[in-house]
Formats: sequence, structure tokens, C-alpha cells
Amino acid sequence: MPEQHLIIGILIFSLSYIMIVSEKLNRTVVALFGAVLMILFQVVSQEEALEHIDFNTLGLLIGMMIIVNIIKRTGLFQYLAIKTAKLAKGDPVKIILYFSIIAAVASGLLDNVTTILLIVPVTLVISDTLKINPVPFIISEIMAANIGGAATLIGDPPNIMIGSFTGLSFVDFVINLAPIMLVIFIVTIFFIKIIYRKSLKVSEESRQLILKMDERKAITDKKLLIKSLIVLFITIGGFTLAEQIGMESASVAIFGASLLLLISRIEPEEILVDVEWVTIFFFGGLFVLVGSLESIGVISILAEKLLNVTQGDLGITTILVLWMSAILSSFLDNIPYVATMIPLVNEMESLSTSNFEPVWWALSIGACLGGNGTIIGASANVVARGIVERNGHKITFLGYMKIAFPLMIMSIMISTIYLLVFYL
Amino acid sequence: MNKYINSEANQHVMKLIQLGAAVQVVSGKMVYASFKFEQDVEVSYAYNINKNNKYFLERIKPYPLSIKEFENPEDVIELIKIDYDQFTNAVKSHNIKNFIKINNSLNKSIKAFEDLFLYYNIPAEYTQKIEHNIEKIQETIQKASKECNRVFFTKEPENL
Repeated sequence: MPEQHLIIGILIFSLSYIMIVSEKLNRTVVALFGAVLMILFQVVSQEEALEHIDFNTLGLLIGMMIIVNIIKRTGLFQYLAIKTAKLAKGDPVKIILYFSIIAAVASGLLDNVTTILLIVPVTLVISDTLKINPVPFIISEIMAANIGGAATLIGDPPNIMIGSFTGLSFVDFVINLAPIMLVIFIVTIFFIKIIYRKSLKVSEESRQLILKMDERKAITDKKLLIKSLIVLFITIGGFTLAEQIGMESASVAIFGASLLLLISRIEPEEILVDVEWVTIFFFGGLFVLVGSLESIGVISILAEKLLNVTQGDLGITTILVLWMSAILSSFLDNIPYVATMIPLVNEMESLSTSNFEPVWWALSIGACLGGNGTIIGASANVVARGIVERNGHKITFLGYMKIAFPLMIMSIMISTIYLLVFYL
Repeated sequence: MNKYINSEANQHVMKLIQLGAAVQVVSGKMVYASFKFEQDVEVSYAYNINKNNKYFLERIKPYPLSIKEFENPEDVIELIKIDYDQFTNAVKSHNIKNFIKINNSLNKSIKAFEDLFLYYNIPAEYTQKIEHNIEKIQETIQKASKECNRVFFTKEPENL
């Protein structure tokens, strides 16, 4: 590899990365432009660039987006929101707890952004009915979605990428991450309850309005709901058995998506138009950017340097990756971060004699939970803030951080103990 | 941006369903078109294009008027074209400003009447009085249409 290509490659990657994290330009445009520059300047050939794209990740994302786009037409989330708000008898603290559980569970099965897009609008209607500030609800839902998403392979894009690259299965993620996420969820919600307990007061009249709502009206298409839930369970079952049946997760997701399209008889164009193509293209560009860096040997150099810092000690490497990922993911988009870290950790694994599985879990936990630290830490947070602001409310950077950052640090401390006790 | 629009639509759907409405969300394109005429007269239209083949054309300026529901996008363009020709003619009249002013007054009166009906309990004598006045206006319009020179022949008037 000529030195000129090395310099150009690093330059294109660095500039693209700076533009992406600074959010001065659209991240998808930057990633695609950077990727194409890598080809134009012959850092990588087009064939090589395409080989770097992880189509398993893209297929999984597209498949799940299609399934969700159909499910959301059924009114399921409205139903759940009204049902649980009535179950809580309009008590805002209980509603926060119930909605957080919905967000966490949904986020484990769908991606975080989708969960937020489904739960936040219904939360705004409920808080509007209760004549109460929705921000505490939204903050707890953001945190719950990020925690729930961290528990499964399909819950958060960093996990999808890690799972796709390492071959760690859906079951591996559930066994290794779900229990610790459950603990973190309980502790986080406990503290959120303490923080907001006294500030959330609603009138009896507002409570009565909630009790008068009819959750049955929310289900707009019962047949479609039944079909969608059956297909969702088949798909989750497919993820669970993917290893045994020798299928990649993307094939399972695309199978579920096409099956649901087939039996729902909805015009595919209507569903496909709502797939987050901007995100899919962002991933595509990013894979080429990071892959180019790998091709020119930069990742190997970085891996060696990092191993020198940790002196090859698995424990130090794991805890370093966990905390570094958490802090960086609090302020940077965790998708490009994880995309860069995956080949780096892989290179470190190949240079080391230790079993690197704990490092992969540390990367996953750190990147997913780190997103909780600030309002810009994860795409789900940014989307939630956008929706809330369009509805006339405000989640300030510091206002969010004051509550979420200490809780995020606490979750990483719990994770540190978990990794030390069970893996190191 | 799409996700924020969808999120707002979800909120509206949930609220409307709880109010008892049967709600249908139809994706489509909203088209705004505006023409500038002499005497600072601006005529604007808004209509939507969607796969359900129902196009609601509305004139926004110089005074709001819900024109029609169409089943063919070509009919929408045809109607705008006729409307454009009519306004091209109309702006030549020195009465155009008065015409717009009267139309806006009529619109204002419709809204005021609606408020009156929705906010107050109106005795029959008032509704009869209003009805009588409207009949008088309608008679004047009919009389004028018979006594004045017709200037536009492309299409027959639909409301006279």
C-alpha cells in the first residue's frame, strides 16, 4: 500500500468523521461522499468498497423496519398506552413506570428510534390529556429504550453491527446482556421515580379524562394486528433459532418482512417508502469509510497501539473499552463509533491469545448505554427531542444531562461490576 | 422530517379516534400554485394529489373558497385554468378591488354567522331576518346577472 494512499485514506476518514460528529452537514451525505472519495482517490477499488458493506446489518435493519411499519398501522401502541394509563388510574408516576416498561420491551424487539417514534406521540397525547409536562415521561422513555435496546441483538444498531461481525447470536445477546439490562432498568427507573415523585401532580378531572378513554377504539385493524404479531413472534423465534437452522439474522428479518407483506396484502410501495433509507445509506457509506481504513492498515496500527496501552491484559482492555465507549457515545453518534471499533477490536483479538468475548460485550454495553448520557448521545434521544420540541416543549442539553448523565455513569458502574464478576 | 410528520399524524389520529372519528390517513403531495395579476391581485390555490383519486381544490387567495372535490388530477388543472382566465378578465375591471372586498366581507359574514349560531341561542326572529337579507342579496345577484353584459363564455356559470 503506497504511503500516499495511507495519508489520503486517513485524511478522508478524519474529515468525514469530523463532519459527521459535528452535525454541520447531513451525516448520510457526508458518509456517502467520503466513501466515494475513497474510491475516486483509489484508496480502495469499487469491488473492495462493496465487500466492506455489511449487507447482513443492512438486511436486518430493512427487514425489521418493514415489519414495524406494518405493525404501527394497527394502533397497537395507542392501545397499550391507553390501557396502561388507565391501569395506572392516571397516576403520572405509575404511567412513567408502565410506559418505560413498554419502551424497554419494545426496544428489545424493535430498534430504539422506531420505539421512540411509536411511544413518544402517544405519550404526548396522554400527558396533554393529563395537562402535565411530558418531559419527565420522555426522558424516562429515552433511557428505557436505550437500556432495552442494549439487551438484544436487534435492539440497537451497535448490537446489530457487533452481532453481524462477530457471529454472536440473538440468544448470546439475550443470555449475556438481558439480565444485566434488567438490573440497570430497575435501578434507573427507581431513581427516576424518586427524582420526579413530587413534581408530577394532576387534577382529578384530568385523571377522569384518562379513565374515559377507550383503548379498544385504538385498534384500527384487528386482523392485521393478529397477523403482524404472529409474524413478529415467528421472526423473533427465527432469530433465536438462527444458529441451529443455519440462517443469518438478515435472512430471518427479510423472511418475516416479506411474509408479513404477503399476508397483509398492503401495497409494498406504501410500506417501503417509510423505510429509513437515509439510515440505511448512512450505514453503507460508513462501512466503506471504515473498511477503507482497514484496507490500508490503519486499524492494525491502532490495534497494536491500544494493546501496548493495555499491555494485552484482557481485564484492562475490557474495562477501558467499556468506559471509553460509554463516555464517547454520550457525546458522539454511537453508530460511526462502533463501526470503527469493530475492526479495531477484531484486530486486537487476532493479535491476542485471550478470548475477547468480554471486550465485545463491553463495546456493546458501553456504546448502547453511553447513548443515555446526553440528549445527543443516541439517535433515539435526538428524535425524541425533535418530536417534543415540535409540540412546544423543550428538553435542554443541560436539563437532560443533569438527570441522565449520573444515571448513565451508575449504569456503567453496575456493568463494570457485572463484567468483572462474570467474565474477568 | 418524514418521521416528525408521521409522529404528529399519530398524535392527531389518536386524539381524533378518542373523539369518536373514523380516521383515514392518506399519504399524498400538497400542491400550492399562485398567479400574480395586474392591480396587485394574487390568486392562489392548494390541492392534494393522492392515490385515492380524490383531489380537494381550494382557492386560498384573494379570498378563501373551497372549490370542488375531483376524481381526476387533470380536472383540477382544467378548473384552475378556467379560474385563471376568469381572473385575467376580471382584473381588467376597475371594480376588481370592490369585488374582492365584497367577497371577503361575505366570507367574514359566514364565519360571524357560524359563531353566532354556535355560541348563542338565537331566537327565530333573528334567523328569519338574516335569511331575508340573504334572499335580498341573492335577488340582487340574479338581477345583475340578467341586466349586465356577459364577458366570459368558455364555461357556463354553475351557481347562477
